[in-house]
Amino acid sequence: MVLNKLKTMNKHCGVNMKNIHKALILSSAIMAGNSHAEITFNGFASIVGGVTTSSDETLYGYDDTINFSPGSLVALQASSDLGEGLSVTAQILARGEDDWDPDFEWAYIAYDASDNLRILAGRQRVPFYMYSDFLDVSYAYPWIEPPAGVYSLGFSTFDGIGAMYNSSIGSFDSSIHIIYGGNTSDLFIQGEPQTSRLRDLVGAAWTLNRDWLTLRVAYFQADTSIDVPDVTPLVDGWSQAGFPEVGEGLKIEGDLGAFTEVGFQIDYENILIIGEYTLLTLDNTLLADDANSYFLMGGYRFDNVLVHVTYGWDDSIKDRITNDVPVIPQLLPLIIPTNGITDGQAEESNYITLGLRWDFHDSAALKFEYTSYSDDLNSNNDAGLFRTALVTVF
Amino acid sequence: MNIMINIKSKFLLCATVLLFSFSSLASVAVIVNSGNSAAIDEGDISRIFLGKIKKFSTGDKITIVNLKYKQATRNEFEKKALNKSASQVKAYWSKLMFSGKGKPPKELASDKDILAFVAANPGAIGYVAEGSVDASVKVVKTF
Repeated sequence: MVLNKLKTMNKHCGVNMKNIHKALILSSAIMAGNSHAEITFNGFASIVGGVTTSSDETLYGYDDTINFSPGSLVALQASSDLGEGLSVTAQILARGEDDWDPDFEWAYIAYDASDNLRILAGRQRVPFYMYSDFLDVSYAYPWIEPPAGVYSLGFSTFDGIGAMYNSSIGSFDSSIHIIYGGNTSDLFIQGEPQTSRLRDLVGAAWTLNRDWLTLRVAYFQADTSIDVPDVTPLVDGWSQAGFPEVGEGLKIEGDLGAFTEVGFQIDYENILIIGEYTLLTLDNTLLADDANSYFLMGGYRFDNVLVHVTYGWDDSIKDRITNDVPVIPQLLPLIIPTNGITDGQAEESNYITLGLRWDFHDSAALKFEYTSYSDDLNSNNDAGLFRTALVTVF
Repeated sequence: MNIMINIKSKFLLCATVLLFSFSSLASVAVIVNSGNSAAIDEGDISRIFLGKIKKFSTGDKITIVNLKYKQATRNEFEKKALNKSASQVKAYWSKLMFSGKGKPPKELASDKDILAFVAANPGAIGYVAEGSVDASVKVVKTF
């Protein structure tokens, strides 16, 4: 179904002149503001190759021909300390799947208001998930990329203000991250870029950490609008037929999207256990009412080799929105495609990933993963995927 | 039976060699400026070096100084004091560095440079091989 693709919406915004312009202003501010300011460059890269295990299968953008584009990326970060607690940072990231067009993932000014409080203004990550903050830094986590079922939101950055407050609660280190802002980005729906707008994006993530234990909860909400031209004829049809509310139930226009996350990590001696659960609700739109996802991962370290296994499960529910409409022949041309769209949002799938990470070098790791994916609603979508990655930080 | 004993003694021999080679590695001394009177316990040390504590118990601002990557003393310190491998520490700082949360500590090339830095900066904390320690600094803990 066309609209299912909304779930795997493009992860980021396209390159636009505004971004480049913004970054130029930023960098000239760095230069002009303090002629002695040192600029530090750091970066990271993942080169990922993947292939499905049989000819009719596709998964996560891969098919049965070895492809190095979908997961590969290179990023460069420039930052400068301006003194008095102020710093400026820009991170440019180029993805293989975008023909390596560079894009600004982060561009912010940070201010350390105190030892415990840091404020970021500009483009930054929405801390939706446990690994959101360093989503693309594969070197920093076990997998090639975090489990796709849970890490499935169509965007990851926003423009606005973030505040991070760190403190101690007993023997736990507590970190509260609050954000407010918005995001406008292009989502690819059936290969065509469509505009998505999030306004009043607000929420917080709270992380508690003590030695080997990390606990996390997060909640975010936003006023969500996504242009979906494909449904316009249906919306108009319902309006002309005297049932405008059914059409309204298809549009994604100023609807409240709410996201809840709970996660934990146990990193004890050689044992690693990670779990994360997310719930996305987006009522009164053509998308799923409730999308539940979780994964549970167990790993064991043998010196510089980590072996791990992850089980993940996804389940989306969408009620039909035509139940109050009389089933008469004249309305069938509207009822059938509308039910087709909403029925297509239901999802029930699970996957198992077996993986190995080998830290063969000071700044680089080699990863191997095999994922077996099952779609409980349509076994034609079942697939096996083998991926390997060379990941580095510099 | 004989074979069993043989295997056992071989195992013991191996274990002894392993133990010996482990203990033969130099101890690491965590050092602060000689004027620093802050109370620092073992738990504080790992939180300080992971950037989680930014001030000493005296209220003075902490400046961490690290040995350059790949030095044996650094590996030893990270293993014993932080309970992490070199790549785990690198991954830890990567998380902070690429997410606007912090940046890794200043790195110096040798024990000599660390001693000079700690002796010159009241809020400094670092570590050197135990044998390198001199009177210019104060040792707070040896691993």
